[in-house]
Amino acid sequence: MTRPVLPSGWQRLHVRVTWVDLARSVLSLLPAALSVWVFGIDPGSGGTWPLFGLAAVGLIGAAADALRWTFTRYRITLTHVELTTGVFRRVHRSIRRDRIRSVDTEARLRHRLAGLRVVKIGAGQQAAAGESALRLDAVSRADARALRRLLLPPAPAVPAPRESPESPDTPDGTKTSDAPLTQPDSLAPLTQPDSHAPLAQPDSLAPLAVFARFEPRWVVYNMFNFWAYVLAAGLAWGGYWLLSGFGVDVSGAVSGLLDREGTGRAWAVAAAFGAVSAVGVLGLAVSYFTEYWNFELARVPGRDGTLLRTRRGLFTTREVNRDENRIRGAQISEPALWRWLGIADTRVITTGLSMWAPSQPADILPRGPVTAARRVTGQVLGGADNPLETPLAPHPHAALRRRLVWATAVPGVLALVLSWLTLAGAVPAATLWGPAALWPCTLAAAAVAYRALGHVIAGPYLVTRSGLVTRSTTALRRSAVSTIVIRESLLQRRLGLRTVSAMTAAGEGGYDTPDIGRDESLAFAVQAAPGLLAPFVAAGAEGDSGCGRGDSNPHGVATNRT
Amino acid sequence: MTRGAGPEPGTLALRPPRHRVERRAVAWWMLQSLVLSGPLLAGTITAYALWTSARPWLAALIAGAAVLLLAGLLVEPLWRYRVHRWETTDEAVYALTGWLVREWRVAPLSRVQTVDAVQGPLEQLLGLSTLRVTTASSRGAVDIGGLDRETAARTAERLSRIAQATPGDAT
Repeated sequence: MTRPVLPSGWQRLHVRVTWVDLARSVLSLLPAALSVWVFGIDPGSGGTWPLFGLAAVGLIGAAADALRWTFTRYRITLTHVELTTGVFRRVHRSIRRDRIRSVDTEARLRHRLAGLRVVKIGAGQQAAAGESALRLDAVSRADARALRRLLLPPAPAVPAPRESPESPDTPDGTKTSDAPLTQPDSLAPLTQPDSHAPLAQPDSLAPLAVFARFEPRWVVYNMFNFWAYVLAAGLAWGGYWLLSGFGVDVSGAVSGLLDREGTGRAWAVAAAFGAVSAVGVLGLAVSYFTEYWNFELARVPGRDGTLLRTRRGLFTTREVNRDENRIRGAQISEPALWRWLGIADTRVITTGLSMWAPSQPADILPRGPVTAARRVTGQVLGGADNPLETPLAPHPHAALRRRLVWATAVPGVLALVLSWLTLAGAVPAATLWGPAALWPCTLAAAAVAYRALGHVIAGPYLVTRSGLVTRSTTALRRSAVSTIVIRESLLQRRLGLRTVSAMTAAGEGGYDTPDIGRDESLAFAVQAAPGLLAPFVAAGAEGDSGCGRGDSNPHGVATNRT
Repeated sequence: MTRGAGPEPGTLALRPPRHRVERRAVAWWMLQSLVLSGPLLAGTITAYALWTSARPWLAALIAGAAVLLLAGLLVEPLWRYRVHRWETTDEAVYALTGWLVREWRVAPLSRVQTVDAVQGPLEQLLGLSTLRVTTASSRGAVDIGGLDRETAARTAERLSRIAQATPGDAT
């Protein structure tokens, strides 16, 4: 298939995008058409409006997408990647090629069926600047691969691309080496004739090391979740509207079922709860398999150094490449409710990736067992000792006292306000049981939060652990720490505690270590940012307010250099 | 200026930063409290006058607003003046701020992205300036308020010169 090459090197997105739009329109019309022509439902009756709504949304979406395709051009020059798009509001974006940090591909089912890939080109500081990556939606699979190799060429000595199970791949290894620049039509010969790519397959380079692969057993860790109920509710709601669009009386059928059972209301509620839970849990299990099918976490060669690549997905495939030069650490989060099961989420701390993006590009593993999370993270971070397996120093008991004070103060104040309101006759006296019931819970929470605390300096990393609802263990490279903040509230001052925060450009911007003992906190802070605090460490340990010039303490310097 | 009744740093062996902020900063903090808590008190008193049925509740609110305003006018500015200190070297910016919650911040100049001297409307009135030093971290900025306008401008100029001389992309 030949591609229209426009003058001045500007290129359109792949033409199959419009075919996909056409197919989408037809598909979205299908349910309404079936309902009216096949099942003979009267379109005037109220039940069919969801189907017509679906059709309208589908048609409008497809038309807008086709319009977008018409008005979108991109080009790759020697120095920049440029994209112009937009019908009413023209947008021109360009990214300097030497700033490009990631080229990720993604494909929904419709892209997969049409042999297309969405390519996202990210430049370093985009997360801080609130800028999204440049998005090419969509180009052919071969073009996506060629773009990746063009924009992020691997280091010279790279093993040949892994053989793929199906249709012969074009020899892209040679292609990149003799086409380092970028006449856009140099991509054209790479276009594959066959458009159907039924299976996920390596879209890029052979890995240097594979850290983790898809684990079917981990489905257990992904099944039990609050989202099960949201999912079940969504499924039930969608099913209800769909069926009523075809003239099925769902609510009547359900109430009929309940009547025939003739059991009590409590049993009915319990049965409904059980059914909803089962549907939700099953739904999450299926979603785990579809989302993480073919998962692989690997180190692959990149332009300057190595990349950490995750690849996953059965219908929607997603590949994320992270520049390892920008990785500053890792974080393992364990939700409190599932601590007994050892569930953990794993993410890397890196600059240039948004921690809050819905696609969660920083996550490097699916939710899984914490032991595996620690092991894999240790391998990813490298080095002889795994910082996340280093035993942590506990915090002083004063930290527990501080939490107990707060755990008592909150229900206490609540009780005071309520008793005032009771005396004023605004609320019944029985509401005072609320704070009374709350107190043991907050005390227990205080103990849990205290037990979560821990910190240590492990080689090049500082490791800190805290959190009540989610216990997060963070390993942050000490050389990445910029600002050090030490905080002390009035209560902390009384209890001899301090909170040390290490601020960094990566990840969440800063990581707190709450409630370290006062003396220990300075040692920790001094080690957390090597060399930074040394000039400000006073000679005496006690009450040195007469701060003269140049009294930076040799002892302090020595501690910090070791 | 560097001497005097600075806050006792306790057993933390960090020495306090060398310089105090300007005395005028006390007036600045007072004005700030007035601007923030004053309307709150005025609002509750107006409501008390207009809305007779809710008077018992509004009395409590008025008391709360009055305490807030008094603390902001009398306690907070003097307390802050005793605590706030700052210092810059060729390697770092060091500031001690806060009153109920005390905060020591040290940022290395090698990671600094911007250095600005910022003046709000109240600060312009008093000839004061805030030195704002930002790093690549969203949480790593150091703000030193209550400096003399000249001092802040001179320091900002010196710091940005040092920061520019440092190679690297400051992440």
